[in-house]
Amino acid sequence: MIKLSHRYEQISCRLTVEGFPDVSTGQGSQAIGILTGWSLALAGHTELEGKREHLEALLQVVAPYARHLISGAPRAFGDPISPVAVHPDGSRHRLELRSSQPNTPPMALHLDDAELADLVGCLDQLLLDPRLQLNLQAPTPQPLRRSELRKRVPLGRRIAAPLCGMAALGLAGAVSWMVPIPKPGSFNPTEGKGTSSVAAPGNTSGSGTSAVPGKTATPGKTAAPGPEAPAPAPQAQTSQGTGTRPGSSQTPR
Amino acid sequence: MPDVSPALSRPTRLPRRGLERLDLMLLCAEALDLNGGEAMVWMSEQLGYQSLFPNRVELWKRRCHNPLRRSTRRGQLQVQDTDALIRILSAMAERLYPMLRQLLSAAEPESVSEQRWALFRSRLQELIEERLNLRRVGVRKLLDPNEGPQLSHQLILSLALSAGNGGVERLKASLLDPEP
Repeated sequence: MIKLSHRYEQISCRLTVEGFPDVSTGQGSQAIGILTGWSLALAGHTELEGKREHLEALLQVVAPYARHLISGAPRAFGDPISPVAVHPDGSRHRLELRSSQPNTPPMALHLDDAELADLVGCLDQLLLDPRLQLNLQAPTPQPLRRSELRKRVPLGRRIAAPLCGMAALGLAGAVSWMVPIPKPGSFNPTEGKGTSSVAAPGNTSGSGTSAVPGKTATPGKTAAPGPEAPAPAPQAQTSQGTGTRPGSSQTPR
Repeated sequence: MPDVSPALSRPTRLPRRGLERLDLMLLCAEALDLNGGEAMVWMSEQLGYQSLFPNRVELWKRRCHNPLRRSTRRGQLQVQDTDALIRILSAMAERLYPMLRQLLSAAEPESVSEQRWALFRSRLQELIEERLNLRRVGVRKLLDPNEGPQLSHQLILSLALSAGNGGVERLKASLLDPEP
């Protein structure tokens, strides 16, 4: 049986998969159902080779990483023991590959945005190729959660509103704490009795806040009331302590 | 009619932010391609969307649902319309991919890269000033000399990652993101 090889290319990336059709499941002669190996050549970087599990691991981290990147919320994918991991590294992207061979240090590739887009394009082509019948599992793109998107808002802007709220609450609490609490029994209801009532005629000293006694509105000094307006002076004698001039505004019309 | 992928078959309407972003990315495609408006109509025909967008006016009317537009249209855009716009955008991104890549590549000489970005930003600014409501905060951010370049870079990167058939679902999922 002839080994088949399919190639997926972008400008700086070339992904080659090799394998055989799985005749037992009735696959066509051009389909690859049994993967024997794959290689990834990125311009300016070492060529990578691996088996099916490595290709699946690459798909499992690169596809969700691109999904987060397109929303402007990049984050690391792949734990320290997984064969492939990718995480943002400044303006670049660090792709880490760990060999299954013991005592082999992990290999790190620093990709720029263009190289990462090329790699994502190659993996998209691979997943959409109907000739490749490997049933490779790649995460389906989903909308991100609100908590994941919150990270792209700068920390200062995120905590500004809660901080302002807490500061306002603290300030209001401090101000209310400074207001003295009235002692029980200190309130004398008779003190303010005359302040709100109209003084009786001639009783100018009935309230401490009334007009000066000498300047109180006597009936003779107010506007001459006719018989039909008998009581202008008592009305002018309000005890608000504002120095109301009798006759100035109380002239009945 | 082109095949409808599982994600696109979900009848989910794009939120307001998604509509804004979709139209901004189409605007970026127009800024990259001087004949972008015509290319969009041609691409729509190629993808089999004549019934949805029989002429460029219909396409423009759908895009005017972007709340950031100077003359925005009320009402919600139908799912089939947004799906068609997403497919057109992905196809245009694939066609413009070499230009997107040039802008994103760190291997290019810095002076050349700066010139390319300056040209792209000036075209985008012209389109924004012509079509979008400049009183909106989102639009002012795009034109801001400090925040604008970063937002433009994010839009170009999103376009590059949504290029081709493989990028359609990724793009739609990102447009369905909730408000942060």
